[in-house]
Amino acid sequence: MALAEANKVLLEVNNLSITFHTEDESNTALNNLNFKIRRGETIGVVGESGSGKTISVLALLRLIQSSSCKVSGKAFFDSQKSGLIDLLSLSESEMNQYRGNEIAIIFQDPMASLNPVYTCGDQVTEVILRHKKVSRKQANKEALALFDKVRLPRPKQIFKSYPHQLSGGQQQRVMIAVAIACKPSLIIADEPTTALDVTVQATVLDIFRELRDVEDTAIIFITHDLGVVAEIADKVIVMRKGEVEEEGTTASIFSMPQAAYTKGLLACRPRLNVKLKVLPVIDDFIQSSSTDGKIKQGGQARFKSVGQAIMLNYQSDTELRAHHSKLFAQKPLLEIRNLKTHYKERKSFFDRTQTFVKAVDDVSFNVYPGEILGLVGESGCGKTTLGRSILRLIEPQSGEVIFEGKDIMAMNPKQLRLMRRDMQIIFQDPHSSLNPRKTIGEAIMEPMRIHELYESEQARKQHAVELLETVNMSGAHFYRYPHEFSGGQRQRICIARTLALKPKFVICDESVSALDVSVQAQVLNLLNDLKTRYNLTYIFISHDLAVIRFIADRVLVMYQGKIIEEGLCEDIYDKPKEDYTKALMKAVPSGEVDTIRQRMIAKKLQQKS
Amino acid sequence: MLQFLLKRLSYGISVIFGVIVIVFFVFHALPGDPAKMVAGPNASTEDIHAIRQDMNLDKSLPHQLFIYFNNLSPISVHEHSVENAKKYEYYDLFTISNYALVVKAPYFGRSYGKHGKLVSTYLIDHLSGTLWLAFSAMFFASFFGVLFGIIAALKQGSTIDTFLVSLSVLGISVPSFVSASVISMVFGYYLSQYTGLNSVGSLWETDSVMGEQLVLKNIILPALTLGIRPLAILTQLTRNAMLDVLSRDFIRTAKAKGLRYRTVIFKHALKNALNPIITSGSTWLASLLAGAFFVEYVFNWKGLGYITIEAVNKLDLPVVMGATVIIAAFFILITIIVDIIYALIDPRVVLK
Repeated sequence: MALAEANKVLLEVNNLSITFHTEDESNTALNNLNFKIRRGETIGVVGESGSGKTISVLALLRLIQSSSCKVSGKAFFDSQKSGLIDLLSLSESEMNQYRGNEIAIIFQDPMASLNPVYTCGDQVTEVILRHKKVSRKQANKEALALFDKVRLPRPKQIFKSYPHQLSGGQQQRVMIAVAIACKPSLIIADEPTTALDVTVQATVLDIFRELRDVEDTAIIFITHDLGVVAEIADKVIVMRKGEVEEEGTTASIFSMPQAAYTKGLLACRPRLNVKLKVLPVIDDFIQSSSTDGKIKQGGQARFKSVGQAIMLNYQSDTELRAHHSKLFAQKPLLEIRNLKTHYKERKSFFDRTQTFVKAVDDVSFNVYPGEILGLVGESGCGKTTLGRSILRLIEPQSGEVIFEGKDIMAMNPKQLRLMRRDMQIIFQDPHSSLNPRKTIGEAIMEPMRIHELYESEQARKQHAVELLETVNMSGAHFYRYPHEFSGGQRQRICIARTLALKPKFVICDESVSALDVSVQAQVLNLLNDLKTRYNLTYIFISHDLAVIRFIADRVLVMYQGKIIEEGLCEDIYDKPKEDYTKALMKAVPSGEVDTIRQRMIAKKLQQKS
Repeated sequence: MLQFLLKRLSYGISVIFGVIVIVFFVFHALPGDPAKMVAGPNASTEDIHAIRQDMNLDKSLPHQLFIYFNNLSPISVHEHSVENAKKYEYYDLFTISNYALVVKAPYFGRSYGKHGKLVSTYLIDHLSGTLWLAFSAMFFASFFGVLFGIIAALKQGSTIDTFLVSLSVLGISVPSFVSASVISMVFGYYLSQYTGLNSVGSLWETDSVMGEQLVLKNIILPALTLGIRPLAILTQLTRNAMLDVLSRDFIRTAKAKGLRYRTVIFKHALKNALNPIITSGSTWLASLLAGAFFVEYVFNWKGLGYITIEAVNKLDLPVVMGATVIIAAFFILITIIVDIIYALIDPRVVLK
């Protein structure tokens, strides 16, 4: 390929600004964004929720629905069909010629982004038939080839399947097939791997890399996770509150981040290789001025560099060993013996043979008081079912769950209800686990009322306010409703509600998976802090190994309903025995400067040859 | 699928059974003596007694109910005689002494009035009117309701949206006897020289010259009247469902594919919005099939609703029961069909 062709600017965005006008105020969502992307180049756009990263690409594709939104600026796109065009001044029907054809987009939530009532095949052929002059038969053939290309197993079967019949990773691959159907020169990927398991994420990133290298596709990759960016991007743009904080090549951002905000983002990600005492959060690096929200760097910030944040925080082997020997000398708080939870699956009316899905298959382990036990595995491995079976939210088939010497499986409903005071659960999605019609205060007081804790409403209210303060919220939030809060705040409210009953044992079921990395760090620190303060014991369920490494003392690796490996975090992360565990470890984006450099060199070599 | 149908049909039969039992006892709790009404004001006590015996009204209520069920059931036991064979038109399977196990069409009995006409023929004669009326009213209502709903949703917040929504509120609130009278008077009387429509009339009109003939134009006004409320409700439901669907992510995906506007609206949005429309539309259809008495009364349209009310007034038990069974059967049939339609539209729906 000619070098000149490869270096040609594909999209040049000049002074892109987005403002939302409401009746009495205007809100700037994006302020003067400028960037260029060349053919075959990948730009990572990083930032927390609300940083304006998604809205800016939606504006480029003219997909913002709101009529109160005003977009200004220029976006020159080098179209194969019609030369240089300004995306922001095209008519809607002209725009439709390019959308899905020369510029394609992949969204975060594949389940919601695919139409539930059409087959996956139809959703791919539809876009081919729209933009290419081919017969339906030819389009079907192309769609099958695309399914093969995005590494979907059994393409013919998936062609006829509906989205709900596929797993999240498969759905996202169908979305990618839709996006690449017309060989676009630019793909925008908006958090395409956020909802996926690490192993699936690794495959999806692989597909993107292949696209970039083989088809010379330019990719704008949006994510809140710098680790993922390191895997794929050539350049990085770091955004915060609608402004660009920093931009540069991936290697320079990772090795010498300049902006304090970037440093914070880099440091707050839990690490696979070291165990920190407290996760650094962005606020440790920046001081935002209270008047205009702009960042003032340096001065009194707690950390000045990522390295400093880690070095001051490192938990040494001796400390850990002392902690563990104390922990495991105790009598277990919870003993699980041969727990089995099977789901019935009947094939058809005539085939009466019953088959079982063994979601939890003969699992035994102990949990010690004050311990955090990590439970890792991919989606569908049975970890959530295991968590719920322990609390008997799902009835297990057989086995024993002994909590403080009492067998939970043998309890009658009344005893079980009393026992639930001591055993609580925090769910994954803070949006759906709070009742939208109840105030925050009501939500926290409800369990106290049910279990008749405290003698008066007044005392309960007082306790609820205390709890809100414990989770770093304020008593002023008591009368507010859930929709007024962000995901991280809602998760903290859920935690406050969990603590209302003063439990001894808490199951955290993917409790931080739906959060941005920066918010995730805050919530993880909070959970860790609460453990010491209230003498709690956790089972922490997660698919993210780095999170488990930070928070857990011991880890159980679950695969197809069975626990295949268990041990201290240090042992398993340093010397995994099982192949499955090794594969899990390998799939985690490391975000190490060395790997980034190696990738860059490999890419350069490939281009030359 | 087969399992689903069998299960739902057996549920349906038990529903019909329950409905019959309830209507039967409620009917007998009403004041009045059907035998006296049939015999007329000048009949002697013996005559009335004879008639009562003939109508089985002298037997105990459970016995009467049993006779009714036995008559209705397609497989039943009857005394094997020439009269019974003629009465029920059965095929006997086998006989034990005087009794025969037979297969027959459900027998609804004979009307107490109407010169002892067979209830089945009487109902079928009037059913076609109701079917025509209900289906045309619902066709009109769903076509325009969905259309208006889509327009209102796409133009959300505009004048046309406000206009359509206000109009639908009006349509929901006006009682059908008011709209029936107004429409009948305005279009069938004051404006009849322009519209060419009659203020009253049935589907089948008996003319002294031509005999019985089909008068299709008579359906226009009652269908319009009957369609107003479902139309208004469907407009609002479609509007809400479309607004909900249009804000979903897959609509954004469809737009991002560069699909044409009408493909996005009709292929991607509408099909996902159909669920509440079908639920409400089918319920309306079923209740219209049960007869719309006020509208039928005002337009003098001899449908199921009209004759049922008439039969209740005249204590004509067999007609009331027959109409009840038919209406219940319609409801059951429609719910089964609707469930199948759900499954056809949305692959996530499993029939079981």
